Amino acid sequence: MAIHKGRGISAIEYPTGMNQNGDPSQAWIKMKPDGRVDVFSGTADIGNGSKTIQSQIVADTLGVPYDWVTYDNSNTDSSPVCTGTFASRATFVAGMAVKKAAENARTKLLEIAGKELEIDPADLEVADGEVVAKGAPQKKISVADVAVAATWTHGELITGTGAHLNPYAPIVDSETGRVELPPHAAISYAACAAEVEVDDETGNVRVTRLVQCFDVGTAINPTLVEGQIEGGAVQGLGLGVLENCYPYYPSVEHRGGQFGSYLAPGMEDLPQVDTIIIENPSAGGPYGAKGIGEMANNPQPPAIAAAVYDAIGVWVTELPITPERVLRALEAKAEPRREGKVVIFDEELSVNSVSNGGMRFEVPA
Amino acid sequence: MKAVGARLPRYDGVAHVTGRTTFVDDVRVPGTLWVKALRSPAHNADIKRLDTSKAEAMEGVHAIITWQDVPLLEYGHLSALGIPADEPLLAKDEVRYKGQPIAVVAAEDETKAQLAVEAIELDLEEKPALFDVRKAFDSDAPVVHQWGNWYTHFEDEMDRRQIRKGSIQEAFDKADVIVQGVYRPAAIEHVPLETQVCQVVPEADGRLTIYSCTQALYFSMGVVAAHLQVPLNRLKFVGGTVGGGFGGKVDTATETMCSLLALKSGKPIKWRWTREEEFLCSSTRAPWHMEIADAVTKDGWILGRKMLTLHDSGAYSRFSPYGLTKHSFHHTGAYTIPNLEFDGYVVYTNRVPTTAMRGFGVTSVSFAVETHMNRIAKELGLDPFEIRLKNANRIGDTSPNGIVYTDPSTVPTILAVADELGHELPADYRTMSSEKREGELLPEHLVGQLGNPEDH
Repeated sequence: MAIHKGRGISAIEYPTGMNQNGDPSQAWIKMKPDGRVDVFSGTADIGNGSKTIQSQIVADTLGVPYDWVTYDNSNTDSSPVCTGTFASRATFVAGMAVKKAAENARTKLLEIAGKELEIDPADLEVADGEVVAKGAPQKKISVADVAVAATWTHGELITGTGAHLNPYAPIVDSETGRVELPPHAAISYAACAAEVEVDDETGNVRVTRLVQCFDVGTAINPTLVEGQIEGGAVQGLGLGVLENCYPYYPSVEHRGGQFGSYLAPGMEDLPQVDTIIIENPSAGGPYGAKGIGEMANNPQPPAIAAAVYDAIGVWVTELPITPERVLRALEAKAEPRREGKVVIFDEELSVNSVSNGGMRFEVPA
Repeated sequence: MKAVGARLPRYDGVAHVTGRTTFVDDVRVPGTLWVKALRSPAHNADIKRLDTSKAEAMEGVHAIITWQDVPLLEYGHLSALGIPADEPLLAKDEVRYKGQPIAVVAAEDETKAQLAVEAIELDLEEKPALFDVRKAFDSDAPVVHQWGNWYTHFEDEMDRRQIRKGSIQEAFDKADVIVQGVYRPAAIEHVPLETQVCQVVPEADGRLTIYSCTQALYFSMGVVAAHLQVPLNRLKFVGGTVGGGFGGKVDTATETMCSLLALKSGKPIKWRWTREEEFLCSSTRAPWHMEIADAVTKDGWILGRKMLTLHDSGAYSRFSPYGLTKHSFHHTGAYTIPNLEFDGYVVYTNRVPTTAMRGFGVTSVSFAVETHMNRIAKELGLDPFEIRLKNANRIGDTSPNGIVYTDPSTVPTILAVADELGHELPADYRTMSSEKREGELLPEHLVGQLGNPEDH
C-alpha cells in the first residue's frame, strides 16, 4: 500500500463570444459637468470582473483617470442591450461596445475642446484628463474644463454610444458543418500540467500542483485574469476528482441535495497553482483582449486523468475520478483489446455494449 | 497612468467582502408575498388531475398559478437560432423530470405557501422513464419527448450535428494504428453561493420591477416579455450583480412565474430557492458520452478522427442544441486533423434539463480529446509534449468547419508549461512556433487542408 506520484498534461483551445456569433452588446456614456464619466452597460458582473474591465477600457479610450469612471449596469431602463455574461464575451464583445461608446464621446469632447482652444479637433489628443495639441503640449485644456464649457458655454452634452456585433455565421452545409464566416470572435489557447498523489489503498487522488499557461490576448487587468484562471483551476479540479450530480450515472438515485452530500472543492483541496500568462493579441478585441473566463476550467480534468495513469497505470475515463473508480480500475487492470491495427479501450462503456442495436459506433478495421 | 494592463482592484471588491453589496436577496419590499412550488415527484408521468381549489381557500394564500395562467406557455429561448420551443413554463399534461414545476403559490410567508403547495391535489400516472443515452435509440426504449428521444431540428431538419472533412476512410486505411476510447464526464451542479432568487414589484404605473440574479438582463427580459405577451416597456429588470452563476443563471428560472404571481395578486412577490432545490431542481452541466477512434501513424501524426457524441439534454432542449454545435466545432481541440467524421446527438432523458455551464459544450470534448491524446502518446511510446507540438494548430491550418486559424497559440502555451516543469525537448521541438507549416511539419496529409489566413 503506497502513495504514487504522477504527472500529466493537456492543451486546449476555446472560442471567445457566442458560437456562430450574432450576439450584440451596446453601451452609452455621458460626461458630468466636471469631466467625470458615467458608463451605462447591460453586462451583468457574475464575479468575472466586467465592471472593472469595462471601466478600465473606458478610462484609457476616453483619456481620463480610472477613478473618474462610474459604471452602471443596474437596470434595463438606463442600460442598453447586452446579450449577457456567458460565452466568454463580456471582455471582448461588451468591452468593444464600451470602447466604441468612449471613442464617440471622445470625438465630442475634442470638438468642444477645439472650440475652446481654437484648434482643429483633428490636431488634439487626450490622455490622463488633459486635452493637448499634438506637437504643441503647451496648448492644452483639462477635460474638466472642457466639460464645464460644454455644459455652461456651448449648451452641449458630451456623450457617446457604442454597439458591437460580430456577424452571425450560419452553417452553410448541414452535411459537413461548413461555415464561411468565423463562428467566433477569437480563439484562445491554454496548456496545463497536473501533478497528483494517488493512494492505492483508499483510491484517493490528491492534486498537488497545477501549472497552467493561458494566452489571454492582452491582460486588461492581470490580477483579475489570474483570478479567473485560478478560480477555473479549482472548478476544473472539482470536475476531475470530486463533483457529480449522479454518483451512479445514468441512474438518478443517490443525488446529493446539500453540501454534505455533494462534494465541491474546499480550501483543503487546493493545490499549488502556477499561472503563466502569454499575450498573443486578438485582431478584433479591445486592446487585443481575448475571452478566457470559461476555458479556465477545461484543461485540468484531462491533465489529472493522465497524471493518475502516470501514477498507477490505469485510465479512468469517467469523471470524476473518485476513490471508488480508482479502486475498481486497479482491481480490473483492464487492457485494451487489440484487433489488427485497432486498439480498443473502454469497450464495456461503449454504445456497442449497452445499446440494443439502436446506435452503433463502427470503425472499419 | 494607463488603466489597461494595470493591476487595479476589483470595482466592487470592497463592497463584496464587507457585505455591503446589494444582491437580490438583500432587497426588502414591505408587503411581499413568498413563493413555493409544487414540483413533480415522478420522473415521467401523465397528469390526470390538478386541483388547486383547496389550496386557494387557505388562510394567507393570495395567488396560485398553473399552466392555464401563462399567456404563452412555451417559448423557445433560442428561436433566433432556429431552435423551436419544447418546454412549458409550468407542466400541462405531463411531467418529464422529478422536480419539474407544476404550480406556484404566493402566500404571506414561506410556511403558508408550503402548506398550500401540500394541499394541491395532483394525480399522476407514472410512465417508464429513460436515463441512459446509449439506450435512447433502441426500439424498445420508452419515447420521452414530443420529437422522439433525440433533437431533430438542426439545419435541414437533420437529427444530428455532423462534421465531415476530408476522407475518414482514407485516414483509417493509411493509419498504422487506430486508437479507440470512450469518455464520460459527469453532470455537475453550478453551486452558486446565491441560489436562484427573484423579487417582483408591481408598480403603480402598471409596470413590473423585476429584481433578478440573471446573467443576461436583456435575454431574461425578453423571455419574461414573451411568456407574458407584453412589450419591453412594461418591464424593468434590476440586477447586474450576481452571486455566482457559472452559466446556470442564463436559465430564466424564477422571473416569469414571479411576474405572473405579482400580476395576479397585485402584491410584491419573492421566491428564494432552498439549497436543496438548487441542487435537485435547477439545471446542471450535462453529462456527455463520447466515443473516439483516431487514425494515427507510428511517428505520431493524427490522420483522422471519427467521433460519436451523445449529449444528455435531460427532459427538454434549453440550450443543448447550441452546446452540441459548439462542441462539434471544437472536437479536434488545439490540433489540426484533416480527415473528420463527427456525429453528435442531443438526447432526451428523464433527468433535470441540462444547460450552459462554464466551458459549455467544450469542457466535455477537451476532456475526451486530451485524454485520448495522452493514450495515443502512451500507445505509440511518444512524448506527450512532442505529439501535441507536432499536430498543433498553426497559422494557415483550417478548423473542423473550414475556418483558417490566424493567431493560434498551441505551441507557445505548451512550450511555456514544458519550460516551467523543466521538461526537456529536442531542439526541433524547442524552437517550434505557430508559423505556417513547411518542410517536415507539412507532411502530405496536411497539404490539402491548408487555407489562406488572409481570408478570415
